[in-house]
Amino acid sequence: MFRRGLPLIIAISFGFLTLISLLFGIAEISNLILAWASFLAAVALLLGVINLFSVHAQRMAGKRPFGGHNVYSAVLVISMLVVFGLGLTDLLGMTSGSLNQVFNWVQAPLEAALASLLAFFLLLSGIRLLQRQRTLSSILFLVTAVLILISNALIVSPLLPASLAGLLQQLRDLIQNIIVSSGMRGILLGIALGAITLSIRLLLGLERPYNK
Amino acid sequence: MTILTTLVIIGVVAVAIVLWSRRLAQQEEPTLRPLSGYTALKGQVGQAIESASKLHISLGRASLTGAANPTSVAALAVLERLAAEGCANDTPPITTVGDGTLLPLAENTLRRAADNAESAAGIPPGTMQFIASRTDAFAYAGGVASVIQQQKILGSVMVGHFGQELAIVTEVAGRSQVQQIIGSDDPLALAVAAPITDNFLIGEELLAAPAYLEGKPDQVASLQIQDVLRILLSLTILGLAVYRLVTG
Repeated sequence: MFRRGLPLIIAISFGFLTLISLLFGIAEISNLILAWASFLAAVALLLGVINLFSVHAQRMAGKRPFGGHNVYSAVLVISMLVVFGLGLTDLLGMTSGSLNQVFNWVQAPLEAALASLLAFFLLLSGIRLLQRQRTLSSILFLVTAVLILISNALIVSPLLPASLAGLLQQLRDLIQNIIVSSGMRGILLGIALGAITLSIRLLLGLERPYNK
Repeated sequence: MTILTTLVIIGVVAVAIVLWSRRLAQQEEPTLRPLSGYTALKGQVGQAIESASKLHISLGRASLTGAANPTSVAALAVLERLAAEGCANDTPPITTVGDGTLLPLAENTLRRAADNAESAAGIPPGTMQFIASRTDAFAYAGGVASVIQQQKILGSVMVGHFGQELAIVTEVAGRSQVQQIIGSDDPLALAVAAPITDNFLIGEELLAAPAYLEGKPDQVASLQIQDVLRILLSLTILGLAVYRLVTG
């Protein structure tokens, strides 16, 4: 009873306290609770990093630490240790800004490269969808994707006549501002309503992900 | 919107959920419209066991302390279902998370499922994996893709907060011929999911996970109240649009 009841009381109390402080603008209370939540989130992130390290270190401890897929685990563990080491040397003043350099020269370009591949992945997915099922929606999906990609490329091209570029611009605006926006807003409204009812259930203690 | 309006809306919805759930509790089990994502979910564990392979579930990268908290709560309901079925057959799903706050809850869900099933194998090391922090979307996608590629995965269930980076994961899963179920609260992720699989859960459908998977009266009641609210909201928007059109 106590084991199940205490977390419930704490969750409901803090839920209502945050709601009331946000509604009535009592910043001291909401900021304090959010600061506690941020601290707990930081501790949870540390647990996550330890989990990541232990999973991959255990893989390396197997028969072939650098063989097969384990080589990726080895790269991850070594990278983690190197970055941790650089963080320490930065802290001790032995190096300066090396941690930022690693992010700027390694992580940022890698993420940018992955992001630039997304358009191709989407187009490829559209073609696969058409191969899998030739329905009206799959044809519409591919035609729209190709149209937007081509219009984005052609509108800025000096080779295209101004009248045709204007027409393409209008077509692109029609698709993006009316058709896509209305669909997205519909989805977002549904999500907002779902989030409101789920949040109210959490506040009422009907939904207890922390206490099952 | 004034404070009073907000309080009234919260109060009315809360009272409606409580009253309607009491009414539902006295009735027979209500039927919900079938959603392909949840229908497909029911067969996943069985198929994985039959083919001696594993099931992968990713809970996205929404923090429990952030605005997308309800999405992660819904994703945890999906994990709970898959973990209960999986642990009963000594094959807990490989679980990946993209936020630290999800890690203890997901791990607790897996361990509790193993305890309830009195699983002899328990939760093997490496079953629960933190991939990357929520700010590194592409690092998370790359990490999840490598888990799918390296392990013998039959099906991948991606439920939670994902963005367009989902395209990387779905591409790898597609190449590995992994069955996919996708649910996200981000319309961009849904644009990625739509051409990949028929089993995807659009926004609010994902948030309905507790009602579809557990089916308690209060969960179904809140889903039905949500439907009423949606109709009211749609009619209000339509009415305002007509009013503006008529009055110029």
